[in-house]
Amino acid sequence: MSKEIEIVLVEDSVDDAEITIRALKKVNLANKLVHLEDGSEALDFLFATGKFAGRELTAQPKLLLLDIKMPKVNGIEVLRTIKSNEATRNIPVVIMTSSGEDKDMVESYNLGVNSYVVKPVQFENFSKAIMEIGFYWLLINKTPVG
Amino acid sequence: MKKLNYFSFRGLSLKKRLPLLICLLLLAIVIIFSWASFFGVKRAALNIAKDRLHVLSKQLSSMSEQSAAIVINASRALGNNVSIKEHLKSGGKDSAEQSLQALKNTRFDSSWVYTELLDLYGKPVLRSVRIHKEYLAPLLDSTLATAFTPMDSFKVGKIYFLNDTMYYPIITAVTDNNHYLGYLVRWKMNLANSKSVQQFAELLGAHAAFYLGNDDGGLWTNGVNSFPGAPVDTASVNNLFEYTNFNGDMVIASVQPVANTHWLILVEFSRKALLEGTYGFLKWIIIIAAILIAIGIIVTHLMSKSITAPLNKLIEATSSIAAGNYSASVEVNRNDEVGKLAHFFNKMAEQINYAQINLEKKIMERTAQLEKANKELEAFSYSVSHDLRAPLRAINGFSMILKEEYAAQLGDEANRLTDKIISNAKMMGQLIDDLIAFARLGRKDINHGRVDMNKIVHSVVAELTPQQSENKYCFRIYDLPACYADENLIRQVWVNLVSNAIKYSSKRSDPLIEIGAEKVKGVFQYYIKDNGVGFDMKYADKLFGVFQRLHNQSDFEGTGIGMALSKRIINYHNGGIWAEASPDKGATFYFSIPESNIV
Repeated sequence: MSKEIEIVLVEDSVDDAEITIRALKKVNLANKLVHLEDGSEALDFLFATGKFAGRELTAQPKLLLLDIKMPKVNGIEVLRTIKSNEATRNIPVVIMTSSGEDKDMVESYNLGVNSYVVKPVQFENFSKAIMEIGFYWLLINKTPVG
Repeated sequence: MKKLNYFSFRGLSLKKRLPLLICLLLLAIVIIFSWASFFGVKRAALNIAKDRLHVLSKQLSSMSEQSAAIVINASRALGNNVSIKEHLKSGGKDSAEQSLQALKNTRFDSSWVYTELLDLYGKPVLRSVRIHKEYLAPLLDSTLATAFTPMDSFKVGKIYFLNDTMYYPIITAVTDNNHYLGYLVRWKMNLANSKSVQQFAELLGAHAAFYLGNDDGGLWTNGVNSFPGAPVDTASVNNLFEYTNFNGDMVIASVQPVANTHWLILVEFSRKALLEGTYGFLKWIIIIAAILIAIGIIVTHLMSKSITAPLNKLIEATSSIAAGNYSASVEVNRNDEVGKLAHFFNKMAEQINYAQINLEKKIMERTAQLEKANKELEAFSYSVSHDLRAPLRAINGFSMILKEEYAAQLGDEANRLTDKIISNAKMMGQLIDDLIAFARLGRKDINHGRVDMNKIVHSVVAELTPQQSENKYCFRIYDLPACYADENLIRQVWVNLVSNAIKYSSKRSDPLIEIGAEKVKGVFQYYIKDNGVGFDMKYADKLFGVFQRLHNQSDFEGTGIGMALSKRIINYHNGGIWAEASPDKGATFYFSIPESNIV
């Protein structure tokens, strides 16, 4: 767990996660990626609690890919916790969801999401979107963190 | 032009109409009744007066007759005086002294002013005069002027006035064994004075007048004064007649002849005096009628008020209910028809109130149910959009990975099957997106505004026209009028219509698509016409149903939602959408949006 993490993928669907990771791997961005399966795991990871107790908090990830609809703690709640906490507020969060609901989008932006992406059904489009997100946030975007 | 406002009985309120009607009725009855009774009383008064007049005149006549008979008999007795007879027989020679003494004796009081003995030819033979002869000369002349005949004897003669004194002669014949010897004429002066005349008149009754007159009608007297004659002719004797007397009063009069005399008796009643009581009666009737009408007005006013007051309450309560206050009721404590009306009105109002409360409760319940159902539907569509898409993305994704990374290891058939999986997954993704768009429309707020149809159509056509292949499509777009609608929704309709037109004419070598608008019955109808495959009109009713398709998926791809969505959008604008087509000859789709489409 001492390894530096660049991307945290919070996705309950293993299939979506696999496709996402595969797309990132193609452009060589998945080396420093951790996949978490629900919101509570994500919070444990970010705040070094639960099974991630002891994780060093000095280096926060460069990108948090967050699904909305997840068991236990959903993406919106994770987003709220992150953005209301001094230590995690600057982590770039990109919501990736199947739902194009206005309600979710409005709430996410109100909570300070950095980007909101509706997952395209088409594999080509999906892969392309994932790659572009990875490029932008890891290589182009600069954050005070890390 | 303003219509003149005439008085209208129907325009009056019941409260005014009822008393007015009853008062008019009362007035009519009172007038008719007063008039009839006034005339009845008047006639009765006149009849009584006439009877009295008749009886009075008859009595006075017979009284006078008796008086006349007494004086005539006295004269007759004188005529039987032997000396007088002798004197006449002898031609005025014998017994002159005795005869004169007999004549003198007839003037036993001062009223007998003059007695004269005449021979058969009317020539004076002897006379006895109380006062100076010259003073009575006119009377004597008139006696001489009288043509004496046996017919005139034993009668009281005509009345004469001399120096305001009434005189009358009593003429009797002197006979001897039925042989006429001569005539005896005695003049009497009437000694009555005005006081006795007045007393006599009072005896007759108020406003009555009594007159004596000569039978030639030339002179009338009340015994003291002479008056101009009343218009008496022979026909009116024994009858009642009316005339205006010398005083100018209308009088009813009765005239009777007096037997044994040349006199007439006239009794007059003043008409005005007779009818004084009747007019007094009329006055009372008018006063009573006025009181009756006043009472009638008050009673009917109170009555109509007692009827209209609860009616007004009912009107108030009804208008209150009409205004939406369903708890209104009227308080009327009566058992008549109005009371019953109020009672049932209250029951009705109660029922309405109950029904209204019930309805509101039901509406609230239903609204809550609907809201709940709507929420569930929202949650459902949310789940569909999220949960159906995730596995689809997996199917699509893994198939693509299979195709990209293991194509070489798979056979041709396996690759073909993989393609099939991919295209079906793609199709299903489209289906889900369309379905969500369709479901979302129900929850969307419509933003009305002026929509520039030309701009929209040109941009939609430019967007949808296939770019890659050489452009074989020919578009003919006419000027389109603007409409008032939600621009995004109308754009969606054009997208569906234009893409359909392109899709179904894609197999033509020279696809032609015409877009325009025409005004029918004041409403613009937009149309899009293609020369594509068209469809059979017997399936036209399926055109706008969800998931309804008229072509095979292998011929033309589609989800069967586009037209259903378009219809739903047009319905939101209160418009209409329909199509005309025939197989292989193309189709024309029409839609119209009324100007006042805001729901």
